[in-house]
Amino acid sequence: MLIRLSGGEVIDPVNGKTSQRDVWIRDGVLIDIPEGETADQTHNVSGCIVMAGAIDIHSHIGGGNVNTARLLLPEYHAAHQPRPTNTPLSNAGWSTFRTGCLYAQMGFTTVVEPAMAPYTALHTHLELADIPIIDKATLAILGNDDFTLSLLRDGKSSAMIDDYVAWVVGSTRALGVKVINAGAAAAFKENVRSFSLDDVVPEYGVSSRKIVKSMQASVTRLGIPHPLHVHANNLGIAGSANTAAATIAATEGVPLHLAHLQFYGYGTEGKRKFSSEAARLAEAVNSNPDVTIDIGQVMFGQTVTISSDVMRQFAALGNASPKKTVIFDGDGNGGGGIVPYRYKQDYYGSIQWAVGLELFLLVTDPWRVFFTTDHPNGAPFTAYPELFELLMSSAARDAKCTELNASALELTTLASIRREYNLEEIAIMTRAAPAKLLGLKDRGHLGAGAIADVAVYRKGKDIAKMFREAALVFKNGDLVVKNGKVMHYRWGKTLRLNPPPDKAMAKRMNAYHEERYGLSLDWFTFPDSAIQRDEPFAEVSCNS
Amino acid sequence: MKALTFTLIDQPDERLDLSGLTPVALAGLSEVQVSRLRIGTSRNPASVGDVFKVAGKDVNNIVFEGGSARFDKVGTGLNSGSMRIIGDVGDQAGRRISGGSLYIEGSAGDHTGSCMAGGRLEIKGNAGNYLGGPLAGEMTGMEGGILIVRGKAGDYTGDRLRRGVIAALKGCGDYAGYRMIAGTIVVCGRTGAMPGYLMKRGSLLFDRRPENPSPTFMPCGEPDIAFSSLFDRFLMDENIVNKPLLGPKPGKYGGDNAVSGKGEILFRQRDRLRSD
Repeated sequence: MLIRLSGGEVIDPVNGKTSQRDVWIRDGVLIDIPEGETADQTHNVSGCIVMAGAIDIHSHIGGGNVNTARLLLPEYHAAHQPRPTNTPLSNAGWSTFRTGCLYAQMGFTTVVEPAMAPYTALHTHLELADIPIIDKATLAILGNDDFTLSLLRDGKSSAMIDDYVAWVVGSTRALGVKVINAGAAAAFKENVRSFSLDDVVPEYGVSSRKIVKSMQASVTRLGIPHPLHVHANNLGIAGSANTAAATIAATEGVPLHLAHLQFYGYGTEGKRKFSSEAARLAEAVNSNPDVTIDIGQVMFGQTVTISSDVMRQFAALGNASPKKTVIFDGDGNGGGGIVPYRYKQDYYGSIQWAVGLELFLLVTDPWRVFFTTDHPNGAPFTAYPELFELLMSSAARDAKCTELNASALELTTLASIRREYNLEEIAIMTRAAPAKLLGLKDRGHLGAGAIADVAVYRKGKDIAKMFREAALVFKNGDLVVKNGKVMHYRWGKTLRLNPPPDKAMAKRMNAYHEERYGLSLDWFTFPDSAIQRDEPFAEVSCNS
Repeated sequence: MKALTFTLIDQPDERLDLSGLTPVALAGLSEVQVSRLRIGTSRNPASVGDVFKVAGKDVNNIVFEGGSARFDKVGTGLNSGSMRIIGDVGDQAGRRISGGSLYIEGSAGDHTGSCMAGGRLEIKGNAGNYLGGPLAGEMTGMEGGILIVRGKAGDYTGDRLRRGVIAALKGCGDYAGYRMIAGTIVVCGRTGAMPGYLMKRGSLLFDRRPENPSPTFMPCGEPDIAFSSLFDRFLMDENIVNKPLLGPKPGKYGGDNAVSGKGEILFRQRDRLRSD
């Protein structure tokens, strides 16, 4: 099958300047313009922009936490159901089915669920496998589990830690490793209620810094393409900018990814002791090339915060809206909490909104800042189109600012920033850079040989509308979306690493689970038979 | 103008969602448009014209001639005008009513008056479980208005009640006032097991001593309060009862001490009155 997209404005910063040219697809792969052949299918896309399919590196779309949020908020299922439809549950709010469709409609073709507790691997992958159209991937959470902390406490060799990390990544089929408030969930169980980078986990005697550095070193040694994904300490607390700055300073020449930095951009200035430190953090990021960040932008309205940072979620119980929450201990390894929250256009909400935008606009290198709302923690991913508009139009930002709390915005630098993202920078931030960060060489650009994940947007004055309803979306060469409507359903794959497991470690894990849980390891790992589909996974290679 | 009347042609062969047949929703629609509204919930859903003969014009006065236990969500969101059903209704009748009046001449199913916030809902027959209660996940049940059941109410009457008055005049099932937050529930006749189970605040008013009180309720003697005669007068003024319910010196239980314990059960002291 030969497909030709003719006459579009191709925005592909990896392969050269923006120009009007044709894009050719043969059997699901992008190719150079073939000589003397006619296309089986031609789409006239003049007046449109053509980009690679977008990649979301941090969006909680499946797994134990997401499902617990669904259970906590059953009233939203009814609210999403307009009238009875022809299939049961097809309109239940926030289903896997809707997740896939909504992402595809916006031109997103790969999404990473960034927080899979290793013991929920089976659930997470079953749920991801049920998300249609797009490709998925997950990051495995380490750093609050008894096994990691015990290895560090006992001063075990770095080779042994590597074996364990490799075993977890391989057996849970993850694409990388994440630490979430490293050590805090373990400390929380010893009644610790605040935890910083140099605090020590009781009983284990290891500091949060030690955990982060050990995991970071291990990830680097194993050649895992995605640098350690760090959810730092003290999320959401006034003054947390100091913690984030300390974490940024702790890279020591090794790559590190800091997740949802917006939630750490807070200082203690002003009458309410809550202000923006975004400018300082942006400067720290700009001057440290080892660091990549994503934002976790806050957009206003109802959402639900889901996090494995149990200490943070416990502290937020009083702010729950509606007033109901779940806090759980994660079977002794980590934990988490679900706290519904409504971001209001008040002082605090205005600061949070502005901090995110400041970071977006003040971090100068689009290769190192990533487009996220930490779905659903800052806002659901359905708010992306409005966020694109805010980044690309200072007039849109000014208009929104007039609705917000003026005294809060005075404590930020937002009004003085006139930068507007152009389409090339958007293409880097949401396509090329994520592919590079995750080690996905086959996507994120439109060069020959890449898989044919293509998003076509109709150019228009209304930026939000343009990104909300893609004119055409191809996934592996299949036309899946036309004029913002899903036309064709297909199954994507889950991207994973497959580092070879060390035999001694596998044996040791078996003994550990027998001893601690009285259960065979088979209860905790992911059986091949779980997903009854041909090749539900695609392997990504490690760096050598 | 004649009342807008829906006359049931035949018993429906599927459950019907009648939430769209209210004064607000029907205002300005022609007869043809009304008869084309979809009300069925199955794969081949019925429309209004398949189930009812429609007559009359006055949307502020809606009458259903004939009812069925398959009539769900009757009068959803009613905020003005009146609706009358000459027959039974199914579940969630009068959900989120905020004004006007809904009168059901037959019996009603579960979740009748769910989350109502104002207005008057009266049922001549019996009502099912969770009278006035919230649906799954919702934080509060009824928040205002008057809900009267002339027959017997089911279990969990007034689940999560927050404000307003519920009256069940021929008794109720178990756990009346379950998880109640505030408001008032009146029961004449027998009450089932553990009335006021997990209630935080509010009042349960009975015409007799509760038979199976929860062990977490404490007897509090016979407080000398003006409230009982004041409220008796209110109930008679509203035509809910025709003789005083509590009398001058009601007995009292306080609870539920399993939660905050600020609620009360007030009840008529029959034995003492007889010896007077």
